[in-house]
Amino acid sequence: MFIELTNISRTFGQTQALIDINLKLEVGRIGLLGPNSAGKSTLMKILLGLLPPSSGTGRVLDHDLATAGVELRRAIGYMSEADALVPGLQGAEYVALAGELYGMARKQALRRAHEVLTYLDLGDARYRKLEEYSTGMKQRLKLAQALVHDPPVLLLDEPTSGMDPAGREGMLDLLVTLGKEHKKAILLSTHLLGDIDKVCDAVIILHHGRILCQGPVQQLCQSRHDRYKLQIQGEPNALLDDLRLEGVQVLHDNGRGEYRVQVPTGWTSQAFFKLAQVHEVVVRGLQADNEDLEELFHRVISENQSQAPS
Amino acid sequence: MPTLLHYRSWQGEFHSPWWSVWPIARVALGTLLRRKLFWTLYAFGLLLFFMFFFGTFLLAWAESLVSGTQPQLARFGDLGRVLTTNIRRALVILEGSRDTFQYFFAYQGGIVIVTLSLVGAILVGNDFTHKSLGFYLAKPINRWHYILGKCLAVFIVVQMMTTLPALVLYGQHAFDDWDYLLNVDHFTANDGKGPAGIALLLAVVGYGTLLSVVLSILLVAAASWMRRTMPLIMVWISAFFYLRLLANILVDGLKYDVRWRLLDLWNSLTLLGQGCLGYAAEEISPKPHPEFWEAGLMLIGVCTVCLIYLNHRTRGVEIVR
Repeated sequence: MFIELTNISRTFGQTQALIDINLKLEVGRIGLLGPNSAGKSTLMKILLGLLPPSSGTGRVLDHDLATAGVELRRAIGYMSEADALVPGLQGAEYVALAGELYGMARKQALRRAHEVLTYLDLGDARYRKLEEYSTGMKQRLKLAQALVHDPPVLLLDEPTSGMDPAGREGMLDLLVTLGKEHKKAILLSTHLLGDIDKVCDAVIILHHGRILCQGPVQQLCQSRHDRYKLQIQGEPNALLDDLRLEGVQVLHDNGRGEYRVQVPTGWTSQAFFKLAQVHEVVVRGLQADNEDLEELFHRVISENQSQAPS
Repeated sequence: MPTLLHYRSWQGEFHSPWWSVWPIARVALGTLLRRKLFWTLYAFGLLLFFMFFFGTFLLAWAESLVSGTQPQLARFGDLGRVLTTNIRRALVILEGSRDTFQYFFAYQGGIVIVTLSLVGAILVGNDFTHKSLGFYLAKPINRWHYILGKCLAVFIVVQMMTTLPALVLYGQHAFDDWDYLLNVDHFTANDGKGPAGIALLLAVVGYGTLLSVVLSILLVAAASWMRRTMPLIMVWISAFFYLRLLANILVDGLKYDVRWRLLDLWNSLTLLGQGCLGYAAEEISPKPHPEFWEAGLMLIGVCTVCLIYLNHRTRGVEIVR
């Protein structure tokens, strides 16, 4: 079992940051999703053994949260959202320092720092001062210090924050590789739904300190029988006008002949082909368009808000 | 991101968290030793050391010069006699007795205080300013390992500026006269200048260690509170100048109870340091002064408050915003 939490609550004075959190997660790539002040950071701190829960019990990789702070953190590589760099150090020194703090001997830590930095494509920058690193490089450096001791678990707080699109893609590919090929258990806390979509196979949605839903993304997203992804070749305008007359809503047009449409009740997919034939366009693709993570997130949050007492 | 190189797993033994104390101290020291500011201040400290180191030779030469020109100086009446007396008095201070080390620690301590106020932000404050504290605390160590590592860094800086040069001075006198090293009564047998030999060596190490321990705890607490250099200087000036001034006004000016002098932390430190060097209470100025045990209790109290503050300050609150 990766994470097992039973009735975990945490209060700060009058504020309840976490309320009765119950979680049972197997090893995998798990996304922690929630708006600001949802309790993600508090949950991360509790999982790191840095903050004791006000009530409840929990285990991470069979380490008791209440008693195994040091052993727990040795099994975890933590990448914080804040820069958390030590000014004046070079990249290799910084990662080696992290290794030493994890308990590695100095020589081993230095050797391993060079290996990890090379793996993360920071080999050329390893002797550069941390102040000279770009945002993307800092993010990879923070991942390097979390990986230096080869932990079974990675807790990542906003790992793509501030990165350009190419850098972000690279970072996400890397996380997928670490999870799939190197069997790292990953807990990824982020605001970016795309990051979770790409990396994680399960998600936890946290809101106002409560878990609103958890489980595999595929299972949580509802199957929709009223929405399709439609690809057409040819002049689309006449066809789209006719579709609208029939009550079909065009939700999204990517400008390259791909559309997301919502159909009225009683609509059959055959109707697309009939209309296409009339307007002499070719239907190149038609598939059911299920709910995505963004829709799931908004649905869960809005359901929770509508249920909450005013 | 370019094609990834192969990821290699690592299997090895992990040391106990106590092993992390030295890397924390080493990195803090390394950051400090790369600064020109530190070496400039250290050079000032060395000037003082060289004054003590070469002062013996200089004054011996000056005395021989003055003695050789006694007839000419006689023309100036008392001035010649005063000059000779002063040079002889200075020579006595520099002869390697407890007086030498008491003066050395007192002067060098001033430079140490100035240095610490200027480098505190580099050694400790930056961890709070740049949120590096989160980097340390997310590792398998607890906050006391971190605090100990930072205190060790400051301890080493103070030792480099006080005990180390004091030991060189001791070595200079020991090489000059082996009896100084071997005979504890080297001075007392002649004119009662306190111990020599191993007893003096231990006293010097004790004085330096006392300064280093107390100042390291005070600095780590003050720097984690103030973080930046200017506010830290203000706190430092308040602790070591204004409180001293206030204590002097209360005790010497308004004739309040002598225990008010305990407000002066530097006085408590030097009082205990001189106790280490074997001074009796009545030999120590300024007079009146509190008892040794009172000064010790005051310093223990201040250090305890600092440690309680550090314990509170270094909770994992900064790990995640």
